[in-house]
Amino acid sequence: MRHRRVTAIGPILVCLLTCASAGAHAQTTADLFDRNTVHEIRLYVNSRELQQLRNHYLEDTYYTADFQWRSIRVRNVAIRSRGGASRNPSKPALRVDFNRFTTGQTFLGMTAVVLDNVWQDGTFVAESTAMAFFERMGQAAPRESFCRLFINNVYHGVYAIVESVNGDFVKRVLGESGGYLFSYQYHDPFYGEYLGDELAPYQRLFEAQTHELEAATILYSPIRDLFREVNHPDDAVWRDRVEQYVDLPRFITHAAIDVFLAENDGILGASGMNNFYLYRPAGSTRHRLFPWDKDNAFVNPQFDLLTRADENVLFRRAMAYADLRALYWQVLEECARSAAEDGWLEAEINRASALVDTAVRQDSRKPFSNDEFEQGVALLQQFARRRSNFVLQEIDKLRRTP
Amino acid sequence: MTPRKSSAAAALLTTFLLAPASPAAGQSVTAQQATAAQTVTLDQKGREPEEREKKKVGREDPPATFRFTWKEHPTLEIGKRTHVDFRARVQSDARSSDALAADADSPSSDIARRRVGIGGDIEHLVEFQVERELKDEEPWRDVYANYHQFDAVQVQGGKFKLPFSLDQNTSATNLDFVYRSLAANHLAPGRDRGVMAHGRVFRRLLRYEIGIFDHDGRNGRTRNAARVFGGRTTAGRLTVQPFRAVKSNAADLQIGAAFTTSDVPLGFSSLRGQTFLHASFFEPDFWVQGQRVRTGFELRWRPGPFSVKSEYMRVTTERRGQSVEDTDLSPLVATGWYVSGTWAVTGERKADGLSQPRRPLFQGGYGAVELACRYDSLTFGSTASGDLPSRSVRADVIEGNAEHAVTFGVNWYLNRWVKLQFNAIKESLKDPSQLALPSESGIWTRVFRFQLTI
Repeated sequence: MRHRRVTAIGPILVCLLTCASAGAHAQTTADLFDRNTVHEIRLYVNSRELQQLRNHYLEDTYYTADFQWRSIRVRNVAIRSRGGASRNPSKPALRVDFNRFTTGQTFLGMTAVVLDNVWQDGTFVAESTAMAFFERMGQAAPRESFCRLFINNVYHGVYAIVESVNGDFVKRVLGESGGYLFSYQYHDPFYGEYLGDELAPYQRLFEAQTHELEAATILYSPIRDLFREVNHPDDAVWRDRVEQYVDLPRFITHAAIDVFLAENDGILGASGMNNFYLYRPAGSTRHRLFPWDKDNAFVNPQFDLLTRADENVLFRRAMAYADLRALYWQVLEECARSAAEDGWLEAEINRASALVDTAVRQDSRKPFSNDEFEQGVALLQQFARRRSNFVLQEIDKLRRTP
Repeated sequence: MTPRKSSAAAALLTTFLLAPASPAAGQSVTAQQATAAQTVTLDQKGREPEEREKKKVGREDPPATFRFTWKEHPTLEIGKRTHVDFRARVQSDARSSDALAADADSPSSDIARRRVGIGGDIEHLVEFQVERELKDEEPWRDVYANYHQFDAVQVQGGKFKLPFSLDQNTSATNLDFVYRSLAANHLAPGRDRGVMAHGRVFRRLLRYEIGIFDHDGRNGRTRNAARVFGGRTTAGRLTVQPFRAVKSNAADLQIGAAFTTSDVPLGFSSLRGQTFLHASFFEPDFWVQGQRVRTGFELRWRPGPFSVKSEYMRVTTERRGQSVEDTDLSPLVATGWYVSGTWAVTGERKADGLSQPRRPLFQGGYGAVELACRYDSLTFGSTASGDLPSRSVRADVIEGNAEHAVTFGVNWYLNRWVKLQFNAIKESLKDPSQLALPSESGIWTRVFRFQLTI
């Protein structure tokens, strides 16, 4: 009898210990950016400050909040309204800084995340799918996943949790730190023109995300020099001089992926350059780009492969070189094949839209109806089915052109 | 200082240094000589002052005489029961510091202050005092009257210091150090408008003070109008000299306790931490709302030429409904304490005051010399613990700061009017990065003060 009891207790103990160890499993950023889950994030904000945030949603004022994901509660985080056209008081787009008020505080090792309100993406999944595609093409891009956001226990809808492009991001994707990172700030259409010798116009366009306290000369002289060389009249020296300031093959690759995704608001955007970060390693003058905010991608499966190719000075002059032009077509072709391989792009859209479907329908703050959501997803699926063929056919045509 | 100013100051100083220790009685002015004054002070019933006094006091007093004397102060005596003292204090500091002072452009600077006032007593019933700083944004200092017919129950009204803190309630003229303790400067309320009952009971063993004031004092306020401070304030202080009746050195021992309570409206608190030279090391950018309570304990003992003083103060300010979930946060708390000691090298009894040296300079002696030392502490934080300290305006555990300071001093009382003080102060900050004017954690400041009091 006694022996039987012992043998019965044994498996129970094993189960309990297993469960306990699973519960104690340390959470990581991989868990947070798990794209197969709709996470739940809760923010707690003093009611007076929440009202202030709603009243002043166009300002970048920081407010205090507690941030909770699973069993992790991060206290005294700083939140502020963010974004451009996506700013609104009902479903605020938020930036969350974990260490702004509390020195050394991080969340899963990160100092910040963005809670994207997906305000301009009726499909809810275009942005995250585009970023996943950049990653699939071997490019550094911010990770994204979905969450239901509750503010003071009130459901505020489906948000994208977006990895903040900052020093932590650079360290993750490049394994280096100490570099100079700038976020591009859209003001007026900018196509890569030379804005003069003064640093102020560049400072207005490129907001320092690292080394914020350093002198403008250190921060912005290489950016000014980049655009001066981009606009240098002498074609004979153009490439040598420009390549000192920008990694041209990477730039062309980035542009090709943007174009494959029919991104209407990227570096060859409808209103000039937009939605990118500029990065320069420490001790170097050579810049590279990181993608950002792809909620205007997938606009049309027949999006022309040379859309606005003549508008951007850097792109236009780079495409004058045969090897860079060849690289552009090569990347586009790789994109088309990769997207079509095993129906990856369509499968990804189907998976993501099914994942968020219930949460989106419950999102009463979204600026779209549920019908519009369904129609948007259908258009995305159509894009996924048709885009690769269109791109491959266009490349074939262009290659045959003498 | 311009040459003209310095020569005027030198002349003034010479006058007071060479003045006799006990000035001759002043010239008296008879009532007859002051007929103008008498004729204009007829009351509404047409009675002359003399008649009024007879009526009021109900007994025959000698005829009122106006008499000008100069004992403690230049004094106008009106009869035997009324007098008006004319007071003035000129003070000049020369200082140098490792850190910039908040109120100066350079680490070395000269600060001058001039204060004038009158005080006195009317019919031994009502004391009064009116003091004004000649150059200050808030020039009026003590402006009050005190009805003191009965020693056990007196009533004082006007603007004066709240009954909290021994150091804060010590006149600037009688301070053992150039600067008051950090705790007294920043945690004690200071002056405000109010009314107070006070008195001494049980054969003067026990002294009580309790009053109601408009706010919780000037020390807890800043020039920043956005900062909040206490509203209607109740303050009380109880001091005991338990061995007063005993003829021994212990007779002077005094211990006491004090409190203030007030309600603070919603806003950022104004109770900040500053160094002696007013460089801010703790800015209270945290929402507060609710009750502010000050508690203080004090001890003073002056056996012979020695003295020991110590105080502990604590101020808590509630933060009702200020958390991210609209619940209460732990109160903000500021604590300060100091221990100080003095030794009159020239042997004067501290309890009698050193302002009247036994052998003044140029009158057979060189005045009174006193050595002094003080250890100060001032800490800001919140009562909660556990989380990472944060600068968030709604943090439960706030990122506080603390300062500790040691002051070494020499006081030289040349005669009853002139006092020279030298202090060397070493201030250490827990987190120097919070200093508005960042510096090393250890700051040395040297201050020399010249003080002329009449």
